[in-house]
Formats: sequence, structure tokens, C-alpha cells
Amino acid sequence: MKILELKIRSFGKLKDRRIRLSEGINLVYGENESGKSTIHMFIKGMFFGLERGRGRAAANDAYSLYEPWENPNFYSGAVRFESGGKVFRIDRNFDRYSKKAELYCEDDGEEMSVDDGDLQILLGQFSEGIYSSTVSVGQLNIQPGQALAAGLRNYATNYFASGGGDLNIEQALLRLKERRKEIDRQIKEGFRVKQEKREQIEQEASYIWREIHRLQTDRDNLKEKIAYRREHKPAKEEPENNRVIDGLRPDKWRIHPLEILSFVAAVVLVFVFIHRPWNYLVAIVLALLCLIYTWNRLKVSKKQEKTEPERILEEIMPEEEKVPLEKLCWELERSEEELGEKLVQYNNLREQLEEMDEMGEEFWEQEKQREAVDIAADKISELSAGLQKQMEQKMNDLLSAMICEFTGGKYTRLLIGEGFKMSLLKDGRRIPVEHLSRGTAEQVYLALRMVSAGVFQEEEFPVMLDDTFAYYDDIRLKYVLGWLGRNKKQVLLFTCQKREEEALKELGIKYRKIEI
Amino acid sequence: MRAREIWEGLEKIVDLCGEREADLLLIAGDLFHRQPLLRELKEVNGLFSQLEKTHVVLCAGNHDYLKKDSYYRRFDWCSHVHMIQDSQLECVDLPEIGTAVYGFSYESKERTDKPYLGKQAKRLRQTEILMVHGGDERHVPVKKEEIAGLGYDYIALGHIHKPQNVVPGKMAYCGALEPVDRNDTGKHGYIWGEITDKSCRIQFVPSAAREYIHTDVQSSRGMSGSELKRQIKQIIEEKGIENIYKIMIKGFRSPDIRFDLKAMDIYGNIIELIDDTKPSYDFEKIKQQNKDNILGKFIGQFEGCSEDSAQYRAMCEGVQALMETRRD
Repeated sequence: MKILELKIRSFGKLKDRRIRLSEGINLVYGENESGKSTIHMFIKGMFFGLERGRGRAAANDAYSLYEPWENPNFYSGAVRFESGGKVFRIDRNFDRYSKKAELYCEDDGEEMSVDDGDLQILLGQFSEGIYSSTVSVGQLNIQPGQALAAGLRNYATNYFASGGGDLNIEQALLRLKERRKEIDRQIKEGFRVKQEKREQIEQEASYIWREIHRLQTDRDNLKEKIAYRREHKPAKEEPENNRVIDGLRPDKWRIHPLEILSFVAAVVLVFVFIHRPWNYLVAIVLALLCLIYTWNRLKVSKKQEKTEPERILEEIMPEEEKVPLEKLCWELERSEEELGEKLVQYNNLREQLEEMDEMGEEFWEQEKQREAVDIAADKISELSAGLQKQMEQKMNDLLSAMICEFTGGKYTRLLIGEGFKMSLLKDGRRIPVEHLSRGTAEQVYLALRMVSAGVFQEEEFPVMLDDTFAYYDDIRLKYVLGWLGRNKKQVLLFTCQKREEEALKELGIKYRKIEI
Repeated sequence: MRAREIWEGLEKIVDLCGEREADLLLIAGDLFHRQPLLRELKEVNGLFSQLEKTHVVLCAGNHDYLKKDSYYRRFDWCSHVHMIQDSQLECVDLPEIGTAVYGFSYESKERTDKPYLGKQAKRLRQTEILMVHGGDERHVPVKKEEIAGLGYDYIALGHIHKPQNVVPGKMAYCGALEPVDRNDTGKHGYIWGEITDKSCRIQFVPSAAREYIHTDVQSSRGMSGSELKRQIKQIIEEKGIENIYKIMIKGFRSPDIRFDLKAMDIYGNIIELIDDTKPSYDFEKIKQQNKDNILGKFIGQFEGCSEDSAQYRAMCEGVQALMETRRD
């Protein structure tokens, strides 16, 4: 990408300025407070917007800082740039009331939308944070910010590690994790269904078990009862006051009619055969006796006397116990039979439960799928780690080459360690960046910025250096300027000193000078 | 419901025996899936008692083996039903039909011996039949060479659910009368046989009310869920909606489609539906296009894996995950 022209309508102290820029090195020269940093900020604002902060922070943010004192509604400008062989123009109005951002292609007149991300497509992966951490070096601000470390780390795990811009390893791994979870869920569901079935069978089995228990108790009770009955049978059937005559009597008669007849006959006979007056007496006595007997018979039949033990037995035993023995035996038989059925049923259910312990086909299928997902995730992680290592190696190589050039071969090796801690290698000794002189440290950071920019940009972005070389000695300055002249398509050098210009002249590098 | 049908299957056979006045009904074990209940035996006996001219010979198989307290041991079958109680070869002599049936029962769930070994037909009667339940390593291995030479006119085999002719016209599995397991695919029924002086002719007759069918449905690139559903419906309608299906969806599907398997069971007769489709990625092409990045390298890792290996599945899963999470 190449910035062609800046049109500042009103931005900070600058008003109605047109600055043309060309390829190669553009030396923006100006004295202190002439507006160099303002231009730097203007470019950033044009590409990434300038958002007004909220609340108290708003008082000192860039928006307020560069808000024109007069006519704040002209807080706007435009930038023309070339990207991918086409010329584009961004028009922005920063003013809070008529805020707008327009992008259109001057070559084919196509209007594009900044809001819909068309500008972002042109910028590629350059976010504001990455821009500030790489190609845009502010005053006294060479050490790249946290954004770079985070950006690079992110990049390392994603873009570069995947080796292709559009693959997203982290997301892919996350997707695989989800797949795994889903399969796990299916397996669990399978288990749950099975468990439910098992519980159902177990419940049935336990129900049958209770039945069995109940039947066993019933059977034992019945057995006991039958045994008791058998034992007590003779006693019970012992004839009670049973005389021969009872046998003769018709069933439902309490007293036999023949008995009455014989009584009458006896009384009559006694009356006839015994002499008077004894016959009266004897006949009366006999008749009375007969009456008493008859009375007694009638009384006995009316209310069957029960013996004491019988009454006790009656109280103990419930009514149903008095069913006949045959019925009890029949019941016992039936209960035994049912018990047998239940036992078979119970054992069959137990067998079924045992068979359920074996895993079904479906389970193995799912297990296989889960394994596949695991293999896929492992392989991707493995490959990604390998690529990440490769990327680190590559970055280290690039950085080493660059620092070698910047320092005229004094340092040949630059290493990025854990957490982007950088160190230089000299004579086999590792020197952390913090221990280096300010100038060298800045060169290391510049190298890191340049290499990192290479990582993110698809199309080279102009490099902006705002008074970056204050700590450089003349030799190093030449080395760095020489590198920039050779390697960078467009560089914007903001300076308030003459030494850069002299160095460029000495090196014989063409440049465009812009005085502010 | 299915239990009812299976029972009806037996009823059908008994009716058939009655109608055709068959001499003999052979049941080569596993009449019951588990230990029979007394009431079940009574019911079966009741069914058999309808037969006037047919003798029934049955033995106990590995499922309904003669447990110590099995009802089989003390059940009082009607006179023309003969239950083989011996675990060694026993002869059921049926002089009325000039036949002797030899067989044995199981007394445990498994037995690896071969009770038929070296037991030549005694030639008591004109027709001699051997009945063997078994046929795999843990259940009386059946070696047809060892059995065929024993001199029986026919050998009725049981245990294997799938009907098959072991020695044509001489030795066969009739299979399960009704398919009872989801893997009992194909036709099921009984064997109708006729033994005359000189020959034995047998014929398998399908009689099962339903069939378990395993079938594949081919899915093609770009096929949507509803199209697939329609196709499954059509296949089921062609093969009969009374059957029970296990369907495997094969072929390719668009990578962004996952079929909703629950919605496919229109007639409620699919017991298993497996999605075995592979995302229709052209792995070779993807590999070529991405040879410098992780995707290409990832595919390269699985070079030469067979399509049914876990490795291949892993590749599908990985490629899908990588492709679907691409930034646009």
C-alpha cells in the first residue's frame, strides 16, 4: 500500500493542508510544534478512525487533543492511497455531529462502506493495535505495546501455525472439542436409556422378589396350619355325648319320635301294670323324668356347648382359618405352583440383567467416533505446535539477519524467548534487551516491529517513524536508513533534525522532502 | 406386541400341521428364550393337544436349558408330545409312524461336547432322524462331515437363527420361526420335509409375520435431509412397511449437513439408523490446495488409511473442523 496524498481540512492545528507523498523515503521535516506528530495521528485517524472517549477519559484522549479550536465542525480530512493497483480515497468527518466515513475507489468509482468492513478488507489483518505496534512508531514509543505480543501469540497459534491465513486452529480445536462433547453426550444418553431399562427390569425383579417372599410366607403358614389341623383332627372329631341313639335319630330332629312314643308307652304301661295307688305316683315320676329328658335334649340341641380350649382357639384363629382342610391343601398346592413360576421369572430377569452388562454395537460405534475425534485433535495440535516452532524459528532468523544489518554485524543473533522476552547473543552470551544500551534496544524493537509487520501484512504498509532515531549514533542511523531505503516501499520519516537528511544524502538514497 | 406375533407364529405352524396331517413336528431346541414358566408350558401343551395326528418331539436348547428345577423336567406333556430330557443322545421311538427321533437336551447354557459323535443310526425304524441343537464353538459344534456319515435320514438342526441348508436335502437349520433379534435378517419360517423310502425332500417355507431388514441408503453430494427422508420412506414402502429396519446411510453428504436421524423414522419401524456418510470433501484436492498449511499437512498424515479405519474417521473429523471454522 502506498499513501498518495493527505488532505487535511482541519485537524489539530493544521488547516487546509495538502501533502503529497511519493514512493520511497518521505522526509517530513518540521521544527518543534510544527505539526509532525499531528500528521502522524491524522494518518492513523484516517485509516482507523478516531473515537471519542467516554466520560472523564474524553478530556485527554486523541479525539479532544486534535479537535480544532476553531470551527470544530470542519474536523475532517481525506487520504488517497493506492492498494492492489487501485487508487482509493477515504473521506472522514471526525466532528461529533456530522461524523461520517466514506471509502471509494477512484479508478472505477465504486462506493464502498467503511461500516461494512470494506476498509478492513483492504487493510487485511492490520488492526489499529497491530498498526501501532508495527509500522507506526510514535515519538519515544519504540517498544511495541502489549498488542503486539498478544497479536503475535494469537497469530502464532492461528494464522502462521496453520500456514494459511484463513484457517483458524483454535476454532477448529474448539469445534472438535464440541464434537467430542456431543459424542460423549450420545454415549451418556445410551447409558441412560440402558440404565433406565435395567432399572425397570430390576424393579420388576424386586417386585417379583417380594412376591416370592410373600408366597413363601403364605406357603409356610399354610403348611403349619395343615400340620396343626392334621395333629388336632382326632381330638376335634371325637364324638361328644354321642350315644347310639344319636346315630339313630334323623338328622334334623332333636328328639326321635320313637323316643316320645316309647316314653308315652312306658308311662301307660306303668299306669296299667302297677297297682293302685302306686301306679299314679310311679307314672307321674316317670312322666316327669321323660319330660326332663326331652327338655334336656331340646336344650342341648338349641345351644351347643363349647369347651374352654375351643373358645380360646376360636379367638386366636381368624374366621378364614376355619376353612376345611382340603381347601387348605389345595391352596398350598396353588401357592407352591405360583411360587415356582415366580422363581423362574425372577431367575430369567436376573439372567437378562446379566446379559445387559455387555456393551451394544452402538456404543462401540460411538466409542470409535470419539477416538477419531481425539486423534484428529491430537494431530492438529501436534502439527500446529510444530508449525509454531517453525514460525518462531523463522522469526528468529529474520530478526537475527535484521539486527545484524542494523548493528553492522556486531550482533548476529536475536532470540525471542517465552513471553516475547528478547535477548541478543554475543560471543555465546545471552544479553537481555533491558541490559542493552538505549540505542541498541531501540534497534532491536525496530527490528521486531519490521519483522512482525511482515507477518501480518499481505500488502506492505508504509512505515511511519516519528523522531525515532534520537538515540542512534550516525553509523547505526546510516545502517538503518540504508535498510529502509533498500527494503521498504514507502517510509514516512518525521524529524526535527537535519542529520537524517544528511545521512540520506551521504548514502545516496533518493527522498522526498516535505517541510511543514 | 411382537411377543404376541411370535406366539402366533407357533400357532400358525400347529394349525398347518393339523391341516396337512403332518406325522411329525420337530422343535430343535430353544422353544423359549429363557426358562419357561409353568403357565407357558401349559399353554404350549394346550396348543399341541389340538394335534390329532402329529407327534411332536422337542428338546431343550441353550436358552431354555434343563435347569435343576426346570418345569421341563416334571411337566406332564400330552401323550403325543415327546420331550427329550437326556443330555446324552436319547431315542424317541414312534412306531406308529415308523420313525425314531434321536436327540439330546442342554443342561447348562453352554456345552462344547458333541453328544452325537459316533452315534450311528440304530435303524430301529424305517425312518431315523437326528435332532441337534448347536453349531458354534460354545454350543455343540456341528461338523457336517461328522454328522452326515452317521446314517440318519434327516438331521434337524437348531440354534442358528438364520435358516440354512447345511447338506442339501439332508441336514438343515430351519432358523428362528420368527426373527427375534435385530440381526436376524432375511426370511424366516419353517422347513417342510417329506421322507419316503428312498428320499428326503425338504423345503424352506417363509412364514414370519415380519422381517428384519438391514439396508443401505445411498446419500449423494448435496442431498438434503428431506430428500434423504423421502428416499428412506420409498425404500421402506418398497420393501414393506410391516418389516423392521436397520438402515445405514452410506455415501457422501455435503460437509455442512448433518442429518437429523430422529426425524427419519416415519413408519416407526426403524430400530437403528446409522449415519455412515462421509463429508464429500475431495481430500486429494484439498491437500493440493493447502499443501503449505496445516490442512494439507493434516491430510498428509493420514495417507493410505482405509476408509473404515479410525484414522480415516479422524481425518474426516479434522478436515471438517478445520474447513468449517475457516475465516471468510
